Amino acid sequence: MPSSQTPPAGSTALDPTAVRPAIDDARIIRTTPQAVRDELLALKRDGYAMLSDIGGVDYLEREPRFDVVYHLLKFALNGAQAARVRVLCGVPGADPVVPTVSDVWPSADWAEREIYDLFGVSFSGHPDLRRIQLPVEWEGHPLRKDYPLRGPARDRTPRPSFALKSNVAAGTPASGKTAAALQRQIAAARGQTLPPDPAPHAAEKAQAGNTPGAVATAGAATPQELGAEPNAARGRQLPKDGSK
Amino acid sequence: MSVDSPIPAAAPGPPPSMSMDVVERDHNRMVLSIGPQHPSTHGVLQVLTEIDGEVITRAEPEIGYLHTGIEKSAENLFWTQASTVIERMDYLSPLSNALCYILGVEKLLGVTDLVPERAQQVRVLLCELSRIASHCVWLGTGGIDLGALSGFFYAFDLRERILDLNELSGGARMHPNYLRIGGLRDDLPAGFLDRLDALIAMYKPRMNELRNLLQSNPILQDRMIDVGIISADDAIAWGLTGPCLRASGVAYDVRKTFPYSGYENYDFDVVTRTEGDAYARFLVRLDEMDQSMRIIEQVRKNLVGGPIMADDTKFTPPPKETIAVSMEALIHHFKYVSESFRVPPGDVYSAVEGPRGELGYYIVSNGDNRPWRVRTRPPSMYNLQILKQIAVGELIADMVVMIGSLDPVFGEVDR
Repeated sequence: MPSSQTPPAGSTALDPTAVRPAIDDARIIRTTPQAVRDELLALKRDGYAMLSDIGGVDYLEREPRFDVVYHLLKFALNGAQAARVRVLCGVPGADPVVPTVSDVWPSADWAEREIYDLFGVSFSGHPDLRRIQLPVEWEGHPLRKDYPLRGPARDRTPRPSFALKSNVAAGTPASGKTAAALQRQIAAARGQTLPPDPAPHAAEKAQAGNTPGAVATAGAATPQELGAEPNAARGRQLPKDGSK
Repeated sequence: MSVDSPIPAAAPGPPPSMSMDVVERDHNRMVLSIGPQHPSTHGVLQVLTEIDGEVITRAEPEIGYLHTGIEKSAENLFWTQASTVIERMDYLSPLSNALCYILGVEKLLGVTDLVPERAQQVRVLLCELSRIASHCVWLGTGGIDLGALSGFFYAFDLRERILDLNELSGGARMHPNYLRIGGLRDDLPAGFLDRLDALIAMYKPRMNELRNLLQSNPILQDRMIDVGIISADDAIAWGLTGPCLRASGVAYDVRKTFPYSGYENYDFDVVTRTEGDAYARFLVRLDEMDQSMRIIEQVRKNLVGGPIMADDTKFTPPPKETIAVSMEALIHHFKYVSESFRVPPGDVYSAVEGPRGELGYYIVSNGDNRPWRVRTRPPSMYNLQILKQIAVGELIADMVVMIGSLDPVFGEVDR
């Protein structure tokens, strides 16, 4: 069941990459699982020595549903200009299989395993295709768009009864318990009694009234304006004669 | 033994799944699991090794113990909120992650040129500081792996001062969340530059002490030289970047090759070595810290004044002081916080040079107020993968040296 935080699938543009603005960050090649291996090998012969990354994207409603994205890098060697190329391989959702390139670039090993783990796209010919991030017994592929944000396992996790929302007494404030209320609660649990909670600032006013400099602590005037000691208004114990 | 003997029968051993999976003997060969709870794996890495005597014959790193689904979380957050979780990936240099993501979003928005000069300079300054801080962790913990405990305190003291600067500018030591799409959250606070000057002044003598302690230490040299050698061809084939690649003789640095945030204006060298062993990676990182300090000094000298945020409230929050006096600003602020902004559809690959190598984000927008996909290119993951090749033929005791020299961060490897 999709979480409330999952954006509704209806709001998706079917293929955002097709309407992309002109961003000059890489050359972009689109291809299919049948042709991707030849395409990548041709690029490697062309000088793109490093397979920098393989990523996956799930477009859910588009056909082909997935994109497996290969980022290749050419170094500035032998007078060549450094360059990037991005190969977008559209993979159908019904049969998500792509030929592996882990024999060409060993760096593809873990990247392909991760896409298999998180998207459920498998790579034919991969020597060791098993889950890499999630445990073996995990069900589903979390980065697919139809996988709920919090995961199905969360709903099944047993919780103690006091932690269930339905067991919290009605009228309990969500938060904002004062320290005094907490102390009374603790005292009650220990069988002690505490004096009732005084009105806010009552103690301060009583204390301030005893000190000579702060007689007029009322309204919005600050103690400094009234010439009082800064401590007086906070109710600290001062000598009776008001001296420091 | 009689039937009524008081001595109970031997307790059954642990079930086979607990013991036999991990260690099994076959003549001289033995399968040994290192980690995931092992202090020298720098996090939660498990390496299943097959050893023949003391020599490693096979090694397979197992990752995923720290998988937190950050990429999935980012898809479900606003464009502005996503950078908060993205900072948690490489927790030793959160600013590099944030910068890389933010540069990508700015490219998608087409507002890269609107970012003010001062914001770009401060971004560079903080990213280079966090590179030094990150290398300090590697240097300190890497020394501990080899028994050099005292270097740790010198390195972490230096890092503490950088974290203090982080706290001063962003309000938090580890994850300041200070960079914003369009600029910075706030200007640098009063007193920041004085503290920075103090750091610049103490850096050189501190690095001299560290180099005296560690670089010329014969025990460390014995442990690191000719251990875990990576050739240049292997480094490229396995997708290594950063200091691991440059220690094998390939001078590739994103800051030089594909400059961003004004790195083309600074004068610094790309440090390379050709040996490709653990000691070469050690020296490359040490020299890189000095180069970072060079950049920091240049930024400090040339720091300009002016705004720190792009002047366009379509993707930045309006200045706080205008909210009380301008109706439009109030509306913009409300919209910005409650439903963020929309980013034109498209995809972009943005890369920066993080402390561990090329950190990349492949970001897809479908025109909504949340990213459709944020794929990280984690440099540590690719750097760590080569362990299964370089460990073969090395001694089991050198495993910690090799892991330390690759400098993985598992928040980023597992995400």
